[in-house]
Amino acid sequence: MIRFLAKRLAQAAVVLLLVSVIVFVLLHLLPGGPARAILGVKATPEAVAHFNHQQGYDRSLPQQYVMYLGRLLTGDLGASYKLNQSVTSLLGERLPKSALLAGLSIALAAALAVPLGVLQAVRRGGAADHLLTGAAFLAYATPVFFLGLVLILVFSQQLQIFPAEAPQADTVGGLLADAPALVLPVVTTALGIIAAFSRYMRSAVLDNLEEDYVRTARAKGQSNARVMARHVLRNALIPLATLLGLYLPTLFSGLLVVESMFNYPGMGLLFWNAAQGSDFPVLLGVTLVVGVATVLGSLITDIAYAVLDPRIRSVS
Amino acid sequence: MGPRSTRRRGPVHALLGALAALLLGAATLTGCGPEDGAVTSLGTTGGTRVEGGTATMALPPAATPNWIFPIGTAGYLASYNNAVQDLLYPPLYTAEKEGAGLTMDSPRNLAEQPRYSDRNTTVTIALKKGYRWSDGTPVTSRDVEFWYDLIKHDKEEWAGYSPGLLPDNVKKFEVLDDHTFRLRLDRPYNPAWFTGNQLQDFTPLPKHAWNPHDENPKKVFARLLEHAGKLSEFATDPLWKTVSGPWRIEKWTTSGQVSLIPNKQYGGPDTPHLDRVVLKPFTTADSEFNVLRAGGVDYGYIPPSVTARSASFEKLGYRVDPWEGWAITYIVLNFNHPTAGPLLRQTYLRRALQHLIDQRAISDVVWHGSAEPTRGPVPAGQLDRDPFPYDPKKAEALLTAHGWQRTDGRLRCARPGTGPDRCGKDITAGQPLRLELLSQSGSTETSNTVQEIKSALEKAGITLDIRQQPLNTVLGTTVPCKTTEPVCSAWQLGFFGTQGSWYFPTVASGESLFATGAPSNMGNWSDPKADELIRKTEYSDDPSAMRDYARYTADQVPVLWTPNPAYQVSVIRNDLRGIDQNPTLSLAPQDWYFVKKGGTGR
Repeated sequence: MIRFLAKRLAQAAVVLLLVSVIVFVLLHLLPGGPARAILGVKATPEAVAHFNHQQGYDRSLPQQYVMYLGRLLTGDLGASYKLNQSVTSLLGERLPKSALLAGLSIALAAALAVPLGVLQAVRRGGAADHLLTGAAFLAYATPVFFLGLVLILVFSQQLQIFPAEAPQADTVGGLLADAPALVLPVVTTALGIIAAFSRYMRSAVLDNLEEDYVRTARAKGQSNARVMARHVLRNALIPLATLLGLYLPTLFSGLLVVESMFNYPGMGLLFWNAAQGSDFPVLLGVTLVVGVATVLGSLITDIAYAVLDPRIRSVS
Repeated sequence: MGPRSTRRRGPVHALLGALAALLLGAATLTGCGPEDGAVTSLGTTGGTRVEGGTATMALPPAATPNWIFPIGTAGYLASYNNAVQDLLYPPLYTAEKEGAGLTMDSPRNLAEQPRYSDRNTTVTIALKKGYRWSDGTPVTSRDVEFWYDLIKHDKEEWAGYSPGLLPDNVKKFEVLDDHTFRLRLDRPYNPAWFTGNQLQDFTPLPKHAWNPHDENPKKVFARLLEHAGKLSEFATDPLWKTVSGPWRIEKWTTSGQVSLIPNKQYGGPDTPHLDRVVLKPFTTADSEFNVLRAGGVDYGYIPPSVTARSASFEKLGYRVDPWEGWAITYIVLNFNHPTAGPLLRQTYLRRALQHLIDQRAISDVVWHGSAEPTRGPVPAGQLDRDPFPYDPKKAEALLTAHGWQRTDGRLRCARPGTGPDRCGKDITAGQPLRLELLSQSGSTETSNTVQEIKSALEKAGITLDIRQQPLNTVLGTTVPCKTTEPVCSAWQLGFFGTQGSWYFPTVASGESLFATGAPSNMGNWSDPKADELIRKTEYSDDPSAMRDYARYTADQVPVLWTPNPAYQVSVIRNDLRGIDQNPTLSLAPQDWYFVKKGGTGR
C-alpha cells in the first residue's frame, strides 16, 4: 500500500510539473503581455518597461520558467498584479471558501442522491422512478447559470426567502453564520450533482440487486433493509466514490459560474477575475491548486476503492 | 399505509413543488419584483432629509479597492481606488461639473484658488483654515510639502509620473507659512492647465503621523509602501487612521468591500449625513444585477441593454441615471502599419471613414441612449460642431475625388500617386480599400457598434474585417510601435472603448494622447501643427488655445470618433438623494442622504 501510494505521488508530481509548464507557456504566449492590462492605457513606455523588467518578462521564456519554478519550490507563488496580496494568501483565503461551498454541495448531493437512486432502483419502472428520472435529466441538462438565475428570481426576487448574494464574510465561520445566504449557491451547485449521482446510484443498485450474493443473503432470510444496507449499498457506493474523485475539476468549473453569479468570494471568482485582468501569478496559482485537487481526487478515489472493496485491497 | 404512502409521495410532491417554483421562475424571467417600498421619484435632490442610515453602492465589475496610500504605484491607479482615497485624503482641488465642462473652484477645495505670477512661472497657494487631521492636528503646508517630497524622491515608483510633468516641472517648493506655499515652475504654464492637470494631484498627507522623525523621503516612502501592501490591515493599521477627509475607514475586507463612517473631526463644509457608506465590489455585472433586483444595493448599475426596460426599475423604486464620464471614445488607427499605414495616413480617407460612422444612430439604438457622439479630441460638450456628421454621399465623393473606383462592389485605387486627385503615397494601383479592426470582446454593445460600422463601410465598398479579442489582448496589442516591429503588423485599427477609451484629467488637453510620441498615442499619429497647438494649451494662457487644438485635431481625424458610452448606467434608490455623478468618477457620499419614506426614516 505504501509503495502504491509513493508511486502515485511521484506520478502526481510529474503531472503537476507538466501542468505548470503548459499553463506557463500558454499564458506567456498570449499576445501583448500583461503590462498594458495591468498599468492601463495611460502608462508610459518607461512604466511598461519597468514593469516588464520587474516581473522578468524581458527574459527568455525558459529563464522565466526556471525562476518561477525556483520560487515555487520555496513555496512562493508570487504576488497578484492587481489585488495587492500574495498569491499564497489569496489561495489561503479563497480555497476554504470554495471548499466549503463544494463540501456543502457534495454533502447535500450525496444525502439526496443516494436515497433517490435507491428509491428509483427499488421502484424501477414505477411512477416515482419515471418522475425522478425525468427530473434528473432536466436538472442535468439545465445550465448552471440558468438554474441559478431561476432560483434567484423565484426565491430571492419573488418570494424573498433567500438573498441573491452569497455571504461576504472573510472567514468560513462568518460564511456559515450567514446560512440563508448560502442556500441558493449550494442548491445551484448541488442540483446537477444530485442528478448525476442519483443516476449512477440507480444503475449501481440495480446491478448489485442482480448479484448472486444478494440472492444468497435473501435466501439466508436477511431482511430487505439489511440486504440493502449491508450488501447492496456498500458495493453500489464504489462507482459513486470514483465519480466523486473525478468530479473535482468539473465541480471547479461549476463553482466558477456559481461564484460569479452569487458574488461568492471563492477560488472560481478569483480565477475568473485573474483571467479578466491578466493576473498571471494568480492564474498559475489557481491552476496549480486545481491540478493538485484533481490529482488528489483521483488518489482519494483509489484509496476509497481499496477501502470499499476488499478485492482491490488484497490486490494492492 | 399512511406513513408509507406519505414516504412514497413525499419526493414526488417535493419535486412537483420544485418544478412549479422553477416554472414560475422561468415564467417571470422578464417580470418585475415587489413594488412595496417604492417612493415617487422626486429627482436627485429634495424630500425631507433623514439624518443617518447606511447606503450601499455597487462597484463596477472587478473594481476591487485595494490601495489606500494616496500615491498609487504601478497597477493601483484605478478610479475606484482614487475615489476611496479622496474621501480619506482629499486633494487640494476637486474638479466638479459646471455646464458642459469642469470647474476647479469647488467649495470642497482645501485651498483657495491658486495665484499665478512672474509670467505664470510661480504659483502661490493658500490653504483654507479649519481643516484638520482626525487627531485634531491642523492641515498645513508642511503636509503638502511632505506629499511633494515623496513623489519627487520616488517618482519612478509613482504610477502617475510622466517625464517632464510633475514633479519635474516644479523647480522649487517653498513653504511660506503654515497655510501658504509657493511653487517655482521650470517655465511659464497655462494657469488653467496647470491647476487642472497638475495641482489636482497635490494631496496633503499627515507628516506628523507618517514621518514624525523627519526621515529621508525615500526611506519613508518605502515604509509607507510596506504598509500599503498589507490589504488585510487597512482598517486596523494606525497609520491609515489619521485622515483629513469627511470619512474614515470602518472596515476594509480583503475581498475589497469598504465600509466608511463619518470622520467627526472633519473641518470642511460638506459633512456627511449618512452613518455609513458601504462600497461593495462585484465581480460580474450579472451578480450585481441580481442583487440589485433583489434590493441588495441602494446605488448600482445596469447594462445599457436593460436601459430600455428602465420602467421596471422605476416600479421597484429606483431611478435610472447614466453616469457620463469626462471621456472620449474612438477607434485607434495604426499609422505605422506596414500595409494599412499608407491608407490611414491619407486625411481625405480618414474623413471619409468618419463620414460613414452614424454615431447618432449607434448611440440611440445600440447604446439605448446611454452614449453620446464624440466630435473630436475633447468631451463632446466642449466642441461647438461636429465636423464630420454621418454622410455616406460625402464619403463617396471624397473617395471618388481621390481616385477610388468601385469594381465588383469593392473600392480599388484607380489613380495611384500623390497628386490632389490621387489615392496617395504608397498606395498601389488596384489596391483594395480593406482594413482590419481589432476590437475588445465581451460587450454586446461594442460588438453591435463595430458590426454597424462594418455594415456602413461595406455599403460604401470598403471591407472591414473584425477580430474580437479580450480587452487585455487588445490593450497589449494596440501599443505605440515602429513599422519594423512585429507588434506593429499585429493590428491596423483598434478599439477598447466599451467604457470610454480615454478619461481626461480636468483639462481635456492632448499632451498624453495626440502629441507626437505621447505615451498613449497608440496609433503613432504625428502632426507638427497639432503638436504646436497642444503645447499652446499647456504653456500659453490664451483662452482660445483649447478651442483651436480641439477644432484642428477634430478636423484631422487622428482616430475615428465613435459614440462615448456612459461610464455606467446608474440605478439609484428614489429615497437616496444628493447624488451628483461627477464625470471625473470621484465620489462624494457626504452629500448623500435618505428622505422620509411613507412617514418613516430608514
